[in-house]
Amino acid sequence: MIEPEIAPRPARIGLATVTLRLSDAAGQPVRQARIALEADMAHPGMRPEFGAAREVAAGRYQGQLTFTMAGDWVVVIHATLPGGRKLERQMEVNGVR
Amino acid sequence: MSAESPAFDLLKVPFIGPFFGWRHARTFLQIPVLIVGIAMIAHGLFGPTLAPKNLATTVSWVHFRGALVLVLLCAGNLFCLACPFMLVRQWARRLFRPRFTWPRKLRNKWLSAGLFALILFLYELFDLWSSPWWTAWLIVAYFAGILVIDGIFKHAVFCKFVCPIGQFNFVASTLSPLEVKVRDQGVCVPCETKDCIRGRRDPSGLVVIQRGCELALFQPSKAGNMDCTFCLECIQACPHDNVGILSRPPASELMTDPRRSGIGFFSRRKDIAALALVFTFGALLNAFGMVSPVYALESWMGRMLHVSHEAPVLGLIFVFSLIVEPVVMLGLAAWLTRVWAGSRQATLPLIVRYAYGLVPLGFGMWLAHYSFHFLTGILTLIPVTQNAVASLGRPLLGEPLWTLTGIPTRFVQPIELGFLVLGLAGSLLLTHRLAQDEDAPHPVRAFIPWAAVCLLLWVAAVWLILQPMEMRATFMG
Repeated sequence: MIEPEIAPRPARIGLATVTLRLSDAAGQPVRQARIALEADMAHPGMRPEFGAAREVAAGRYQGQLTFTMAGDWVVVIHATLPGGRKLERQMEVNGVR
Repeated sequence: MSAESPAFDLLKVPFIGPFFGWRHARTFLQIPVLIVGIAMIAHGLFGPTLAPKNLATTVSWVHFRGALVLVLLCAGNLFCLACPFMLVRQWARRLFRPRFTWPRKLRNKWLSAGLFALILFLYELFDLWSSPWWTAWLIVAYFAGILVIDGIFKHAVFCKFVCPIGQFNFVASTLSPLEVKVRDQGVCVPCETKDCIRGRRDPSGLVVIQRGCELALFQPSKAGNMDCTFCLECIQACPHDNVGILSRPPASELMTDPRRSGIGFFSRRKDIAALALVFTFGALLNAFGMVSPVYALESWMGRMLHVSHEAPVLGLIFVFSLIVEPVVMLGLAAWLTRVWAGSRQATLPLIVRYAYGLVPLGFGMWLAHYSFHFLTGILTLIPVTQNAVASLGRPLLGEPLWTLTGIPTRFVQPIELGFLVLGLAGSLLLTHRLAQDEDAPHPVRAFIPWAAVCLLLWVAAVWLILQPMEMRATFMG
């Protein structure tokens, strides 16, 4: 399970910090996963932003993304688990100003 | 070539001319567009839900719209020529022969002007640009609509009286440099067969071997691009090879008011004038939906009206922008033209006549808006296509290069402003010409109120373009 959070709230143009907890079905933290971050505008034709998150505590990962303009964004978290299994989670970040 | 013939005829250009003269030229252009359309529907319904990664949204709202306005500006209504909906309709008509004629009361642009406004409204309400699923269904609805309407009614009813995209193209193409036109009027005078409108049948008279114009435009008295889909039927039908794709000064057809085949006089067509106003004011409204102030306005209106749903608030903004604002601005200008310039025309005919003068401004705004998305996102088609192909199983086009976008905004903004200046110049020129032709004792005074309308709209357009864009689907949040 991926539980993401984003700061600051409300989101603003510029750097944003994405923090997420990664846990298995038993609720145990998943360590040593590879996490890629991606931010897309809701409108097509815009350049996506990319980043990566690193593990800062057991099952807790943190990384940064840049919101380059105001509007509605979708943050996509691509997680590759130690066994090679892949997970994806989308998070809407509306009303970036 | 007669003395009045223009110097340039696209059909005389090597390779291009023979191609357009080829009987299957239209089908040749329609098939790839149809394939792209089917791919857009499939990807929209079954592909990624993120709009920037989906062919339906990327092609519809970034590439199609941008390419459409630029081709209209540089050439003519070539997108109606390559319309994939018409190809499907042609195939369907082999199975179903339409038997009915379109009701007389609907033989005007009121319905299509309303549908044009409705599409703009639905675009904002459902944030079509952010929804591949809804975009795909919009394309499906278009195919269904054309099959039903043209399956029941004879001729090209959908194109002439219903299609909102077609109406957009018709109005914009009044400013295009190319027109399907008779080369030499003298050749048409003795013509008795009139194949350009009647078409041609086999000797039995039962089988149509070449269609004439389905939009009721009789070439010798056709004036301008209004209602012309560039279908090439008249070119192929003319037994004298007397129809060409000729150059002309853009907007020249809006300066004069001849009786036009299939249309009549522009000055008497309140419905076409209304369409021109939806085109012009809709351009500003469509861009307004993408900038920050609209969200503040909607939130404020929502609080004042105690409503939390977007539809009524958006509806009010649309009513104000497409009805109240034009009526007040043009009504005031027409009233001044009467009382200050001494025009003997009534207010409504004045509004109708000058409404066409605002079309260049509207087109300038559409160009500025759509070319922004097109130029800043032109390369996004590459990774989206790569992704779509990869989703079929194998990345035949390579891994998606998501960092590809387009021209930086700082380079595109001057182009946008250039389009707006071009639009203003065109509208000032047109309204000045209309004022000169006005049967008024003070033509300069007749021009000033309309020039003021043009300038006001232009200032609004420039203000919109300079606003930071804020593409949000969450209006009331």
